[in-house]
Amino acid sequence: MTAPIAKSEYIRLLLRWVIGGLFIYMGLSKALHPVEFLKLVRQYEMVHQPWLLNSIAAVLPWFEMFCGAALVTGVLRRGAALVTVLMLVPFTFIVARRAFAIHAAQGTPFCDIKFDCGCGSGPMVICHKLVENGLLILAAGWLAARPDRMLIFGRRKSDAVEPVTVS
Amino acid sequence: MKLLPETLVVAGLGVAFGLLANAVSPRGLALGQNYFPGSASAPPVTATPNVSSNAPVANTSTSPTETAEAAVFARLQSKGLQPATLAEVQQLLADPRFALDQIVVLDDRDHEYAEGHIPGAYQFFHYRAPEFLPTLLPVLMAAEKIVVYCGGGSCEDSEFAALMLAEIGVPKDKLVVYAGGMKEWKANGLPLELGERKSGRLAPATR
Repeated sequence: MTAPIAKSEYIRLLLRWVIGGLFIYMGLSKALHPVEFLKLVRQYEMVHQPWLLNSIAAVLPWFEMFCGAALVTGVLRRGAALVTVLMLVPFTFIVARRAFAIHAAQGTPFCDIKFDCGCGSGPMVICHKLVENGLLILAAGWLAARPDRMLIFGRRKSDAVEPVTVS
Repeated sequence: MKLLPETLVVAGLGVAFGLLANAVSPRGLALGQNYFPGSASAPPVTATPNVSSNAPVANTSTSPTETAEAAVFARLQSKGLQPATLAEVQQLLADPRFALDQIVVLDDRDHEYAEGHIPGAYQFFHYRAPEFLPTLLPVLMAAEKIVVYCGGGSCEDSEFAALMLAEIGVPKDKLVVYAGGMKEWKANGLPLELGERKSGRLAPATR
């Protein structure tokens, strides 16, 4: 017999699918246009060595899709959630840094600033992007923080290995 | 599995997957290639409210970005490249040597090339240079003048393409960069060739 599933388990499953789906979509949109993504990465002026710049632009989109797939399927889901947090925190920081640079250079009100941050969703109002990333970090952090019983496509771990009862 | 080992497994597998996928993807990047030769820093910070970078260029004499154009010209010259105005490019295209491939025009854009390019221009998308160089290089080496352009505006690809060609042995004094690019060409309503080079399908540019 299996224990009832708590509501929070369903919420966690839904969050995994939403975050995983978002990462697959964003990763795919960059992987299909690697040159455009390379140019966007270059704009951040974080790295100047060609091999490192190319490696980031070449690997990151597929890496995001890999993490997204792990979250959607439930395989290595906590590790994928933590990796997601570890990606989103520095991304959010550098996007905010660039927005502040634009704000300082052009005098544009911060929340009127809109640019393609290379996040895979095209040009976005920076304030919306920062709020979105903040929510994603919180959600992924919650997923990583404690284990759950939901496995692949929402099937419970206990369902997957339920012993056959002999009458 | 505990969280930390699981995280390391995800990170390791993710990087391996990324490297493999990039290697087999027809759109993959060459990790060791410098796609931005001669570039010390990234392009200037721009965002949507910066309307000046999106403003149409009516013609060369009334350009609202004359100072920006002068800065681009100075930058090109500092790298040993010759900048060209629209009038100079038109003069080169009218030269009989253009029909003989002694003057060659290169379009450094991807799929946009087929949507309309300067009539007679070869495609040379320098981010996928190995696709184009085997057929282009003999033509370029034999040419007397090579005009390179890209999208125009803030696009720097023509500059990178010219420097990439210089790095592989094309003499710099042959290389001319048309910085106004397709944006200026279209803004002046000049004709476009659709599809492949010498397709014979010409269309007026939509401003």
